[in-house]
Amino acid sequence: MAQLPNLDNGPVNLSNLREQAQRELGEVLDSMRGKKVLVLDPQLSGPLALIAQTSLLKEHGVENLYYVDADPVQTECKNVIYLVRPRIPLMKQIVAHIEQDNGRQLQKSYSVIFMPRRTIVCEKVLDEVKAVGNVTIREFPLYFIPFDEDVLSLELERSFKETKVDGDTSSLWYMARAITKLQELYGVIPNVKGKGKAASQVSDILLRMQREQAPPLPASAKPPEIDTLILIDRQVDMVTPMCSQLTYEGVIDEFIQINNGAVEVEPSVMGAPPSNNAQVSTKKVKVPLNSSDKLYREIRDLNFGVVGQVLRQKAVSIKQDYSDVTAADNQSISDVKDFVKKLNVLPEITRHVNIAQHLSKFTTKPTFLSRLSMEQTLVEGQNYDASFTYVEEMIHRQEPIESVLRLLILLSVTNNGLPKKHYDYLRRELLHSYGFEHMFTLSNLEKAGLLIKQEAKSNWQAVKKGINLVPEENDDINPSDIAYVFSGYAPLSIRLVQWALRGEWQQSEFLRLLPGATFERFEKNQEVNIIRRETVPSTDSVPGTDARRLVILVIFIGGVTFAEISALRFLESQEGMKYDFIIATTKLVNGTTLVKSLIDDPSAS
Amino acid sequence: VFLKESWSYSRNMGTRSGSALQGPRLKAIDQASELYAQTKEHMFEAKAAEEQGKLLKLQQELEISTGQPIFVDSSVSDTIRTLITLGNHRAAQRVKVDFKVPDKRYYWLKVFALATAKQWDALEKF
Repeated sequence: MAQLPNLDNGPVNLSNLREQAQRELGEVLDSMRGKKVLVLDPQLSGPLALIAQTSLLKEHGVENLYYVDADPVQTECKNVIYLVRPRIPLMKQIVAHIEQDNGRQLQKSYSVIFMPRRTIVCEKVLDEVKAVGNVTIREFPLYFIPFDEDVLSLELERSFKETKVDGDTSSLWYMARAITKLQELYGVIPNVKGKGKAASQVSDILLRMQREQAPPLPASAKPPEIDTLILIDRQVDMVTPMCSQLTYEGVIDEFIQINNGAVEVEPSVMGAPPSNNAQVSTKKVKVPLNSSDKLYREIRDLNFGVVGQVLRQKAVSIKQDYSDVTAADNQSISDVKDFVKKLNVLPEITRHVNIAQHLSKFTTKPTFLSRLSMEQTLVEGQNYDASFTYVEEMIHRQEPIESVLRLLILLSVTNNGLPKKHYDYLRRELLHSYGFEHMFTLSNLEKAGLLIKQEAKSNWQAVKKGINLVPEENDDINPSDIAYVFSGYAPLSIRLVQWALRGEWQQSEFLRLLPGATFERFEKNQEVNIIRRETVPSTDSVPGTDARRLVILVIFIGGVTFAEISALRFLESQEGMKYDFIIATTKLVNGTTLVKSLIDDPSAS
Repeated sequence: VFLKESWSYSRNMGTRSGSALQGPRLKAIDQASELYAQTKEHMFEAKAAEEQGKLLKLQQELEISTGQPIFVDSSVSDTIRTLITLGNHRAAQRVKVDFKVPDKRYYWLKVFALATAKQWDALEKF
C-alpha cells in the first residue's frame, strides 16, 4: 500500500481523525480473537488504504486479504471477517460463501462488519445463514476519510443518484453523522449556512442529532476549531462539474482518473520500465498524488497551461545550481549539501514532467479544444443553435455517451431545459445511437432535473451576471480570480461560498434564482464564539501578525471536483483572506463519473 | 402505478437477453409500450418502446438472413453500421426509412462504416 498522506499541516489537524479511524478499525478487528483473514468489499480497498497500511492489519492478526466476489474464499483459517458496505448484492455473496463452507463441513466463525453502519435489509439477508453458521455482526463507523490535509470524503459513489433519483436519503444521514463525529473531535461548529434541498436536509438531521445528545458531550464544550459550516447541494450547481476541468489536478482526473488520491498509469508514461523487474513491468504504475509531494502541492492547483512553464523553470534552476557548484572552486561542504538537498526534488520533477507530457497529448487534440470552446459558449449562454447542432453531431458520430451527456446536461441546465421539439428529437437520437437500454438513463437524468423539457425561460443569464460567473478579464498565468480554473468560467458553487463569506446570504436576491432553500443558523449558548468574534477585528488590525484565521468547512453534498477544490485553495491564498478552508464531500467526482453513476446498468439490478 | 409497472416490464426486458428467448422479450416490450401509452405524459416512452420492439423483430430477421448473430441488442445506428460494413446497402436503406433516421446521422454512419470496411472507392464516390 502506498504511503499515507501527511495530514499535519492542514488548517485543522486532521490526523486526529485518521488516528481515531485506525483505533476503531483495530477494535473491530480485535473483536475476533486469534488469526483471521479479512475479506474486503472491493469498493473499500481504496479508501481503506488511506486509513491504514498493511502493517496495521497484521498487528491485529490479519493473515491474508481477499475480496468479496463470486468465488468462495479458499482459506484454512478458522476466522473470517467480512468488511463491507451495506449493499444487498454483497450480502448474497457472503451468504453463498458461508453456505458453501457449510456444505463442506467446515467449522468457521464469521464476522460481518458494516461500514459505516448496519442496515435492516442487509441483516435480513444474513438471517438466512445465521442459523447455520457462527455469524456475528458489527459496525465500523468510518465516515469521513481524510484524503489530504484539507480534503475529506465519505466516498459514497452513488450518493448523488440515490438522493436525486431513487429518493434514498441514507447518504444524507451519513453526512450528518460524519459532521457530528467531526464535531466531537473539533468542537461544535457555531455558524451554519447552506443552499439547496439536500443541504437543508442534512442540516435538519444534524440539528436533531445534536438535540438527541441531551447532555452535551464534554467535547462540545471545547472552543470550536471550525468556525463556519457551509453546506452546498450539488444540484444547485450542475454546470461546474459538467465543464472540463483545467487545473493540473483536474486535467489528470479528466484523462487518467484519480482514485483515492492516486493515479495508475502505464509504465511507459513514467519513462522506461525497470528492466530488472520484467514481471511487474506490464502492471500499471501507481503514483500517489497528495500534498506530501511538495512539488505537486505547488502545481496541482495551477491552470494546466502554466504547469509546463513552472516545471521548466524548476529544471533550469537546478541546472543553474549545478553549474554553480561545479564552477566554484572553493565551495564549502555546506554548499554542496544544499545542492544535494535540492536534487532530492529531481525525481518529483521527472515524475510530473512525465505526467504533464502524457496529458498534453490529450489537451492539444483539436477535438478537445473545440469541446472547450463549446463549453465556454454554453456557459455564456449564447448561441443556443450552434450548441444544439454540436451535440446533435456528437450523438450522430456515436461519441462516448458520457461526454455527450455532459454537454447535453450543460445545454439543458443553462437553458432551463430544452424546447419540446428538440428534447424529444435528441432523446430519440440518443436511443437510436446508443441503444434502447438508455431509456433508464434518460429517465434518471429527468428525475435529477439534468435533462428536462423547457417550461419556463431560463434565468441562467441573471445568475451569470448576478455573481459574475464569466468575468471579462481572465489571466490563467497570474490569476486574480477563481475563473482561471476553467480558463474563464468561475465555478458557481465557489462563487456561492464567496457570497456566504461576505455575509450576504439569505437576503440576497439572486440566490432565490437557484433551486432549493437558502438557510442560515447560529448555535445559541456559544459564548466562546461571541467573545472570539469581538477579538477578531482587534488582532486583525495589527499588521504583519497572522491574526487567527477562521476555519471554514465547506461541504458539497453529491460530490466535488478537483477544480473546485483548487478554486477554494486559491481563495485561501489571496491576500486579505482571513479564512482557511476544509473541503468535505460525499465523493470526489468529475463530470464523467457523475454521469456514469446515472447511467443505469440493467444487468446490475 | 402504470409507470412503475412498465418500468419493471422494461427492466425485465433489459435483463432477459440471449437471442434464443426472443418471444417473451418481445411480449414484455409490447406490454411496456401499451402501459406507457395509457398515460399522456409518456407518449415519448411509448413510442420508443414500440420502436424497440420493431427493431428487435427486424434484427432477428437479419440474423436469420445473414446467419450471423451480431444484430440483436445493438442500437439502430449500430445496425445500420453493421449492414453497411457487410455491404448490405439495401437493408441499411430500409432501416433508415423504417426508423426515420435523419440524413445527417445516416451519412456519418455510412462514412464510418465504409472506412471500417476499407471501401475507399465507395467512400470517394460518396
